[in-house]
Amino acid sequence: MPKIDLPIDKDWAWGGYSGAGVTVAVVDSGIDAAHLAVRRVDRAAAFEWDPNEQEVASTEGPHEDLFGHGTACAGIIRRAAPDAALWSVRVLGRRLSGKGMVFAAGLRWAIAQGARVVNVSLSTRREDYFGLFHEIADEAAFAGVVLVCAANNVPAPTYPAQFSSVISVAAHDGTDPFCIDANPSPPVDFGAPGIDLEVPWLDGGTIVSTGNSFAAPHVTGLVARMLSKHPQLTPYEVKTVLRAVASNAGGKDGGCHGG
Amino acid sequence: MGADELLAEIGELATSLGPAVRPAGSQQLLRSLTETARQLFGAAACSLALLSEDESELIYTTAAGEGAGDVTGLRISSSQGIAGWVVQSGQPIAVSDVTSDPRFSRETAEQTGYVPRSILAVPVETPQRLLGVISLLDRDAGRPGAERDIELLSLFADQAALALASVDAFANLGRVLLGALAQGAAGADLVLALRAAADRLPGPDRDLAALAAAFASLARSGTAERRLALAVLTDVGDYAGRRPGRPR
Repeated sequence: MPKIDLPIDKDWAWGGYSGAGVTVAVVDSGIDAAHLAVRRVDRAAAFEWDPNEQEVASTEGPHEDLFGHGTACAGIIRRAAPDAALWSVRVLGRRLSGKGMVFAAGLRWAIAQGARVVNVSLSTRREDYFGLFHEIADEAAFAGVVLVCAANNVPAPTYPAQFSSVISVAAHDGTDPFCIDANPSPPVDFGAPGIDLEVPWLDGGTIVSTGNSFAAPHVTGLVARMLSKHPQLTPYEVKTVLRAVASNAGGKDGGCHGG
Repeated sequence: MGADELLAEIGELATSLGPAVRPAGSQQLLRSLTETARQLFGAAACSLALLSEDESELIYTTAAGEGAGDVTGLRISSSQGIAGWVVQSGQPIAVSDVTSDPRFSRETAEQTGYVPRSILAVPVETPQRLLGVISLLDRDAGRPGAERDIELLSLFADQAALALASVDAFANLGRVLLGALAQGAAGADLVLALRAAADRLPGPDRDLAALAAAFASLARSGTAERRLALAVLTDVGDYAGRRPGRPR
């Protein structure tokens, strides 16, 4: 990986800051606010498809995590950015129908309400969602909102991780939550811990799990720290800073593995 | 021809031709796929669960290994469990010890009698449709190359999706016939409507629809004509199967 010739290191990026003043939205299955690893959920909104009205219905207010995954992401983010505000945007867990519309509504709500970073551990290969997700990715970028998306493992485009305007993350076997690798081949941007991780789960417990969907929240947490120190950064500048602090940039050896 | 007569013709046609036009071997292919995956990953079991028509449930249609007999045909809500999250989020996931997820253990113990320790699940999806999820139970995670298991299982998921797409084409053929009914109700002849529908289909489906149109003509000709056509087709089929160099 070529070196980015800027005086940026981890200390510049987020040293001394822990996410205060930054709102992170977790678009997922809900967050268990009572989980010790999460401690606090500042706002919550649930979105689901209403088949009678043929539209998306939303309900603001505390809600449960219907699968456990949202809580895992929230816990990972909370560990990296303890003072960030966490919002739960539940778009998963009820019926599958209309899920593209539900996802779009949840994401647009988060952007409109002022979330600065959005963790999106969701992906689809469906080509009829391409346009919708592309439009939303653009809306986020233009509003200065950073979308951090889980990449998929299939050798085919998945959305929204595919788009250049989002930060896409895949799992590597490192264990240091502050150590990320830059990926030289698009579309995946970064590697972060996501293999055999002990993550928060249902009923206040934990589970050992693997997936790109756990790597993404690691980067989300780092972005929240970065933005609490440098709130003026655009999503593209955020990606540049992440590239500069990646452990494999600038001729450093090995990256995060075995760490 | 009135709409009622068309409906009767279409019903008869679909019923008579079902075996002729349904893709052969897709269920055997899926069974082979799950057993191959099971062996390759050193897993206790591999299963394929497909979304129901209204997407509210995952139906375990194909399974190999432990508990396969009990899990086949099982229907679970697509709104719960690891398989439910995978199909809703579109993201693969592996969990090392599912017994630490109290909700998971209760469901599977009740329904299949086999409680796995680990599960690896990936979505089965094409650019056109979300189909379901393929899961591995208790795979050998210590094998060389196991770190790429999610990627590897995704390749199996793609193969399953291709096999399922061919079954879908047959299902779509039925819809094409029903679509022709709508055209027919405006006054067009059934055969003409089917040919028009056949023209709109891409690729191999066109051949199937043309075949269906040919059978429609024959069906109106009479019993003797139908028997003659069947005898001729059977002979041609036998001949084609015996020709040297042709793959069976």
